[in-house]
Amino acid sequence: MRKLTFWRQAGRQLALLAIGIFVLFPIYGLLRMAFDGSLKGAATEFHWLPKQFSLQPMLAVLDRPYQSVQFSTILGNSLVVSFSAAILALALGVSLAYAFARFRFPGRQSGLFVILLTALLPPIAFTTPLYILLSWLGIRTTLLALVLVYAAFAMPFCIWNLRAAFQAIPKETEEAAYLDGAGDLATFTYISLPLSLPAIAVAALIAFLTAYSEFTIGWLFVSKPDTVTLAMAIYAIVTTGAAQPWSQLGSLAILMSIPVVVIFLLLQRALLERMMFGAAGD
Amino acid sequence: MKKYLLILRILAILLAVLLAWNLRSYALTSLPVDYDEDDYLRAAQEYAIVFRSGDLTGLTQFNYRPEHPPLSKIIYGLSILPASETPLLPDRPTSAGPDQTLPRDQLRNARTAGAVLGTLTTLLVALLNPLAGFFLAIHSWTIKYTAQVMLEALPALTSLLAVLAYRRSVAQNGILRPKLPWLALSATFLGLTAVSKYIYCLVGIAILIDWFLQNRQTGKPDNRQTGTLANWLTIFAWGLLSIIVFFAANPYLWPDPLSRLADSVFYHARYSTGAAEVASANFPLWQPFNWLGMSVPWSQQAFRVLLDPFITLLAAFGLARLWKKERVYVIWLITAILFLLAWPTKWPQYLLVLTVPLSLAAAEGAISLLETIRFSVSKSVPNIRFPVLPQATSTRKSIRSPIRFSALPQAIRSQIRSLPWLLPGLLAFLLLTIFPLLFQLGMSMTSLNAQSLRDGLQGGLVRELWGGLTGQIPAAGQDASPNQVHFIGLRGYGWVFDYVSSIGLPVFTILWTALSVSLQLALGLGAALLLWNQHVAFRKTWQVLFILPWAIPEAIGALMWLNIFAPISGWLSLAVKDFGAQNVPFSFLVGWERNPNQTLIILLLASLWYGFPFLMMAASAGLKMLPTEVFDAAAIDGATPWQTFRHVTWPLLTPLLVPAIIIRAIFAFNQFYLFQMFVQFFGGQQYIPVTLSTFSYYLLYRGSEFGVSAILNIITILMLIGFVILFNRWSKAGEGVTYA
Repeated sequence: MRKLTFWRQAGRQLALLAIGIFVLFPIYGLLRMAFDGSLKGAATEFHWLPKQFSLQPMLAVLDRPYQSVQFSTILGNSLVVSFSAAILALALGVSLAYAFARFRFPGRQSGLFVILLTALLPPIAFTTPLYILLSWLGIRTTLLALVLVYAAFAMPFCIWNLRAAFQAIPKETEEAAYLDGAGDLATFTYISLPLSLPAIAVAALIAFLTAYSEFTIGWLFVSKPDTVTLAMAIYAIVTTGAAQPWSQLGSLAILMSIPVVVIFLLLQRALLERMMFGAAGD
Repeated sequence: MKKYLLILRILAILLAVLLAWNLRSYALTSLPVDYDEDDYLRAAQEYAIVFRSGDLTGLTQFNYRPEHPPLSKIIYGLSILPASETPLLPDRPTSAGPDQTLPRDQLRNARTAGAVLGTLTTLLVALLNPLAGFFLAIHSWTIKYTAQVMLEALPALTSLLAVLAYRRSVAQNGILRPKLPWLALSATFLGLTAVSKYIYCLVGIAILIDWFLQNRQTGKPDNRQTGTLANWLTIFAWGLLSIIVFFAANPYLWPDPLSRLADSVFYHARYSTGAAEVASANFPLWQPFNWLGMSVPWSQQAFRVLLDPFITLLAAFGLARLWKKERVYVIWLITAILFLLAWPTKWPQYLLVLTVPLSLAAAEGAISLLETIRFSVSKSVPNIRFPVLPQATSTRKSIRSPIRFSALPQAIRSQIRSLPWLLPGLLAFLLLTIFPLLFQLGMSMTSLNAQSLRDGLQGGLVRELWGGLTGQIPAAGQDASPNQVHFIGLRGYGWVFDYVSSIGLPVFTILWTALSVSLQLALGLGAALLLWNQHVAFRKTWQVLFILPWAIPEAIGALMWLNIFAPISGWLSLAVKDFGAQNVPFSFLVGWERNPNQTLIILLLASLWYGFPFLMMAASAGLKMLPTEVFDAAAIDGATPWQTFRHVTWPLLTPLLVPAIIIRAIFAFNQFYLFQMFVQFFGGQQYIPVTLSTFSYYLLYRGSEFGVSAILNIITILMLIGFVILFNRWSKAGEGVTYA
């Protein structure tokens, strides 16, 4: 790579600065709102900085983010639902993924196509039938329903990515184990699974994060305040309009996003690869 | 063999023409009177009086609604001569509502004249390509505006004739020595087009562009000098002749040519920017695409088939093929679309400017679609046979199973060994993923909604579906009792598709996908290129910063943009309120929610912010893989940065980017949270254009129309299948799918 002349360097920095402002401006807007203690509802005056800097909205949300439910209950709901959904999707999908990665059978091509298609469908395509099916079973407004819904969203994606991960293992490694007398199950348990664990973990993480930050669809499967998740509490404030201080809305959004942002920044390469469905550049 | 083909072709042409006449004559009797018909009928009455009096100088004095040139009105005047005479219709403003009391026999005569002209157009198109003639024959907008007393039928015909004559003049010997008689005929028809309706003269621009393209191709270096001058003169003469014809055939201009011409031309400029009807219609910039994406939504009983959206879709597929065969029609289509997008008046009758090339493109699209299907069927045959003929596997190199016996037992053993792995996963997949989708397919054939939910859950759904699918229960009409679920079969699809296309949802979804992905790609690629050089200062910092929007949940991102642009409480509105509009940049965007174009801009801005990091990362990863030697070579050859990008970087990078682009396109097509946050913010009080999946959620959440929501989802799934086929074909993962 050539060194840059001063003017070229300056020009680039200017262009990058423009993009940087575009990226940061909305984020700053939310931060400003979150730390403004003077807001009673939506904003009514223009200020570059919070009119009255305060941590009070943040503390209020950390106490009772939605109606009179404790923060710990709501965070607990979020974690339980997202974690169970991710594990469920993974556990149910793993054997199918391995079968598609390692064996040949009639209908394999069409099966792969169906999995990819279902992985790319919008969540709403599953929501409508699940809404009716779970109402039918009488469990539509329980946490279990939420787990099932989010697991259904995540499963095709997990299967597709696990298959890619299993296929990336050199087949000689598995052949060696097989020739040493290990059966299919042993080969899978001791060779394939450990080798593809990082990829599996990332796929699970994506499933977890999707469920964790989802709220509009989950809202359909909730009736009582104590089964609300953290993300849904945000939606609740938006839905009520200007009845609550918007600083709390900002605080909640930031609180909820921080862990997601940290994870994304730490694992960006791996996440990108999974999100490209194994079609990443390298 | 050839003779049979010829006979078949003639039969097809006859069929298309008969169909066109049948549909138009049916429409002309059953369509109610529309806006403007009274105006043009009155103009025809004035001309009829002139013709009856025998003193043709009257032609130079009358032209009711002088903003439109007179030829169509003169034709209508001739057509109503046999009808009984009535007093002149009253002079009413152009915006006056439809007048249902027009004299019946005059109306019928004038409409019949239009329908005859429309059928003639179909005949000409059918002679070019019978399938295209068929598409033009059934196109409902074309039927409507040629079967009513509008000004479209005649110029649609003459503009096509101008292009046909032009093609005749250059078809054989290239452009250098065009056959002048045919070219003169083309100019004549162009002149006549101008005397019928100005907007149809767009074909003249298309002909000019085609002329120049052709000239550049065939002008060889040795005869270019002589050829070019002669060509300039020829095309100049062509233009001059058409202008002469325009004046000669326009008697109304004779007494005072320039000021009468200026009056009529400037009227349209004023109308498009100042008329109350245009402002209150508040159509978005892309409204022409909305018209193309729907059949006529009013008085549908006058049309026997309503398939316009599919014709448009086929035309989109057929453009490339038509370009190779008959370039001028593609240029015609594109010129017309660009003009209609730019022109502020967006009335649906303007579509007739382009329905001729549209149906030609649709015919090519239908053929190429058939070929694609035939190709993929013939390609997939070995795959279908694969399990039946195991010896096929022995020729393949990559057998993934660890043991190698002879081919036959191995294939079967592999199948048996796969069973314990397949079954549990398959069971879960079928239960959690496939069953809901199939159940949804069932739901989509019922009338399940909030009112009938109780009955549906208490067994009504199963009862109706089972009964309906086995044929024991006939499909119910709309008058069936609302508290029970009813089997409606596939009819719901027709209703729902008609409805969503009449509010422009599919068009908006596709437009949204194309625009948002292009913008994201431009910025993502730009950022990746800026950061490519390792010597850029703060490279890592910028990179991490730019990834941030990707890491923030989409709905939170939408909230951030709402915080800036929300009416009244958003930053922009507050700033304008506190500092005054002239001191705030972008203050013109205040009130965006009332202007569909600006709403699209705001939504695109938010989606650009959220989506560009993904493509930036994909582009960065791709750039890292490019060989450095080619850039050294380009530098040695003295290529400018732009040349290097255009001829080296871009062609090498594109194949690596395509999977990422398709994934982004699928996300944009499915985009939901962004739209839902905006819709939710306004609490349903403000119309925001949305994607299909957002609308499906809306139906579920607000309307509890479960059956309709299911239908929309199935339509979305069908459209996505196309995307996934593309993805499969292009991505590296796809190679694994096809050949693993």
